[in-house]
Amino acid sequence: MDYVFQFGAVWDHRWDLLDGAWLTLRLSGGAFVIGLWLAGMLAYARETAPSAVRIAIGAYTELMRNTPLLVQLFVLYFSLPSLGIRLDADAVALIGLTLNFAAYGGEILRGGMLSIPPGQIEAARALGLSRWHTFRHVVLLPALRVAYPALASQFVLMMLGSSVVSAISATDLTAITNTLQSTTFRSFEFYFTTTGIYLLMALLTRAILALGYQYLFPAARRNAPA
Amino acid sequence: MERRNLLTAGTAAGLLAAAMATPAAAQGTAGSTAGGLSTLDRIQRNKKVAITAEVDSPPFGILDSDGKPDGSEIATARQLAKDLGVELEFVQVNATQRIPALLAGRVDIAISSLSITTERAKVAAFCAPHGALSIVVCGPKSSAIANAADMAGKRIALTRATLEEATVPKVAPPDTKLVYFDDIGPTIQALLSGQVDGAGMSAFAAKSVADRNPTAGIEVKFTVTTAYYSAMVRQADESLRHWIDTWVFVNSHNGVLAGIYEKYTGVKLPPLPAI
Repeated sequence: MDYVFQFGAVWDHRWDLLDGAWLTLRLSGGAFVIGLWLAGMLAYARETAPSAVRIAIGAYTELMRNTPLLVQLFVLYFSLPSLGIRLDADAVALIGLTLNFAAYGGEILRGGMLSIPPGQIEAARALGLSRWHTFRHVVLLPALRVAYPALASQFVLMMLGSSVVSAISATDLTAITNTLQSTTFRSFEFYFTTTGIYLLMALLTRAILALGYQYLFPAARRNAPA
Repeated sequence: MERRNLLTAGTAAGLLAAAMATPAAAQGTAGSTAGGLSTLDRIQRNKKVAITAEVDSPPFGILDSDGKPDGSEIATARQLAKDLGVELEFVQVNATQRIPALLAGRVDIAISSLSITTERAKVAAFCAPHGALSIVVCGPKSSAIANAADMAGKRIALTRATLEEATVPKVAPPDTKLVYFDDIGPTIQALLSGQVDGAGMSAFAAKSVADRNPTAGIEVKFTVTTAYYSAMVRQADESLRHWIDTWVFVNSHNGVLAGIYEKYTGVKLPPLPAI
């Protein structure tokens, strides 16, 4: 190969790239926390709410899981102003990622909840726990333990998938990279570097989430098959 | 953030190609003046002039539905050959071949929206400008932007890897919120949906956005920069260059150049300064 790699331009813009990486982490972290909370609400409502609400939640889940994230972002970004709401692209990106993650997270949590034996729930109700307390302590927390690995995977997928927010002019790592490579003409160098940053972020996130599992569910460690 | 001008890079590529073509150019130039005959004499004696046709650069040069060259620069070349009273031979080139084709003697004149730069003038000679490409900031009537300073605090959309990306940030106040899109499509959509207060684009693009979306009330707010372009000839072809300068002078005053420009770009031809 004749191409001469020159990473000087990348080094000159290292803080711009790190700014972008930081926004990527904040966007996906924020979407994970808010989205997971929403997902819990959705899962609860889907089990207990009147059937009209259940159907609406089901429709929402299918809509979000069966349309491209990019298209969802475009719809949000370009249609919100017609409702008189003008947010900046980073805020729209957070909303879009959160709504998307809530749908996936809700389904993963529901899968975990279905693994709870009905007898356990009936026992809790028989012991006088309210519906909400039964849901929270007897259903949700054990379900979360079962769903945790799948949620962690989904989080990393979302973090990598969040690169599409650059299309609505959010300033994440991919957007910063695109701007830098188009102004410095060092495309290979910037894309290689950015690939490395994403890889590093994904591996670190996986490691932190694995540690989080050990910390949050120590019982799982004790009960884990040898 | 350091920004290298896209035009400069384009020029550098052109220069590199020109440098590689130099030996051929020397022969071509020598050949064209052989026997004391200037290129202008030869064109008139042979009743034939060869001009570049760049057909992948709308609205300057495109292929029409019959596959024939069309566009403002193509029409300009046709008019020039007609006024010379000779047959026109088009030589198809792409953007990087425009100057090398001239230097190598494959064409007598390059008419291919060649923006006037001092770098290019080192290898070949510019004639008087006959057209202009403006970058403008446009926006809805409700956006109070009259000049570059008014962009302060406003959201301005730009498309990556374009002349507007290379020029608008240089005139924008520091607290302008510049937002970047990968394609002109989302840039226009952001403008029409009200996500941004204005957008930088070519005057041609701004005109077509405004015309196609009359209810949006898009108007040109101010012109960021205007790049003038002209025909180019080889350095040695003084008499040909002088004839083209005269031709531009005549056709600027009789409105022919303005007519061609307006027909293809939909925009009024800005006043053309002398070179």
